[in-house]
Amino acid sequence: MNLFWHKLDSGLRHLIPALVSFLMALLTVIAWPVPWLGTIMPPLSLIALYYWTCHRPDLFPIGVAFALGLLTDSLSGLPIGVSAFLFTLAHFVILRQRRFFAGHSFIVLWLGFALTTFILTLMQYLILFVLRGEATPLFPLFFQTILGALFFPLPCWIFIRLQRTALGAE
Amino acid sequence: MRRPSSYGWFPAVSALTWRTIPYRFSSAFFLILSLVLLVFARAQPVALSSFRTHVVDGLAPVLDAAMRPMAALEQGEISVQHLLSLKTDNQRLREENLHLGEIQNTAIALKKENNELRALLNFKVEPGLSYISARVIADTGGAYERGLIVTAGRTDGVHEGMAAMTGGGLIGRVVEVGDWSSRILLISDLNSRLPVVIAETGDRFILSGDNSPRPKLLFLPRDSSPIAGYHVVTSGHGGIFPPNLPVGLIQETDQGKPVVVPSADLGRITFVRLVDFDLKGGAFNPIAVRTHSESPKK
Repeated sequence: MNLFWHKLDSGLRHLIPALVSFLMALLTVIAWPVPWLGTIMPPLSLIALYYWTCHRPDLFPIGVAFALGLLTDSLSGLPIGVSAFLFTLAHFVILRQRRFFAGHSFIVLWLGFALTTFILTLMQYLILFVLRGEATPLFPLFFQTILGALFFPLPCWIFIRLQRTALGAE
Repeated sequence: MRRPSSYGWFPAVSALTWRTIPYRFSSAFFLILSLVLLVFARAQPVALSSFRTHVVDGLAPVLDAAMRPMAALEQGEISVQHLLSLKTDNQRLREENLHLGEIQNTAIALKKENNELRALLNFKVEPGLSYISARVIADTGGAYERGLIVTAGRTDGVHEGMAAMTGGGLIGRVVEVGDWSSRILLISDLNSRLPVVIAETGDRFILSGDNSPRPKLLFLPRDSSPIAGYHVVTSGHGGIFPPNLPVGLIQETDQGKPVVVPSADLGRITFVRLVDFDLKGGAFNPIAVRTHSESPKK
């Protein structure tokens, strides 16, 4: 019986990275009581994807990144597949560079995220331009990218605490 | 000497290697799958919208529950603001009350005159209205979209094309409907095009969203010169919305270009009213035809 509870506890803990990422996707679209916040909302789900791919890729496989992208597309109103493709691609690349991103200081991790979000925003802009044939205003996009990069340490700090408390014993 | 393989003509691989094959190919599988989705979204954008509405429907209760503390927080903030501005508000309301008294007298006289003229012209009155009030549970803003998700869907009588309004005026229209939730495309969205008219001059043009808070004007007549402060209302062309729904006021940008400031504060919408103008029905129907709900949905 003890073994059953132990396995259940362990299984639930292993779901934390995926569940937290899905929660971040929901928090991104919630109607916060701050006017126009939605316009410049930092990409919380991308922050979660980046962090967990760097630190616990065993609990954040590429299928979760794909599902997170689909959820983001469904909620945000973007064409289905845009975020799914970008998140899958981001996971693929980050996983191969994780030793560099996560193996040095926090500043390197932070700069890695800034670079990732910049490249993904650029790719998203181009994909949407091709799909819609119409250019999106650049200023909010630029502002959102900068804000996302600056905002990174806060959710990151929460993820670090969560990793240490819930997944630290492993 | 090399040992003969136990897998027939397959090269000899260990059980561990076999187990890692799905992991090795999962990256390629999901990358290809997402690319296929992307191409499919380009070719058949409508086909995937039902997938989207199902996902949003499924998550609507979660979003709604998450919005409760936000609503309480906002209510608290509003209460504090009201308390702080109590004295000035009181003074302003007294002055407004005097002014409104004068307007009311004028309105009564105009209404009487209007009724007489309508009777004279055998005027067909606007069709009966039905409306549904709904709470906003998600602001799908971002840098690419201007939209909202609300807690009313097909089961409440919502259908595509319904007008989304607040006390200020028109804010957008329903573009996707699930069983329990709907998505609204705001008039400021890049994909929004709305036939409108300047109330004061009668000049018609298209209000085009550009993801900024102030949509721009397209197809202005050459002799038209929109003046800041003029009212913009729906023209009724296209048959989606009836004429004369308030949309906003004209304002000039720093470059002197006319833009429209929406009457409703698009950045801060908590409740919306989804209105069915029943334009297909056409005939006069003074009583709400279908759902008629005064109170916001809980």
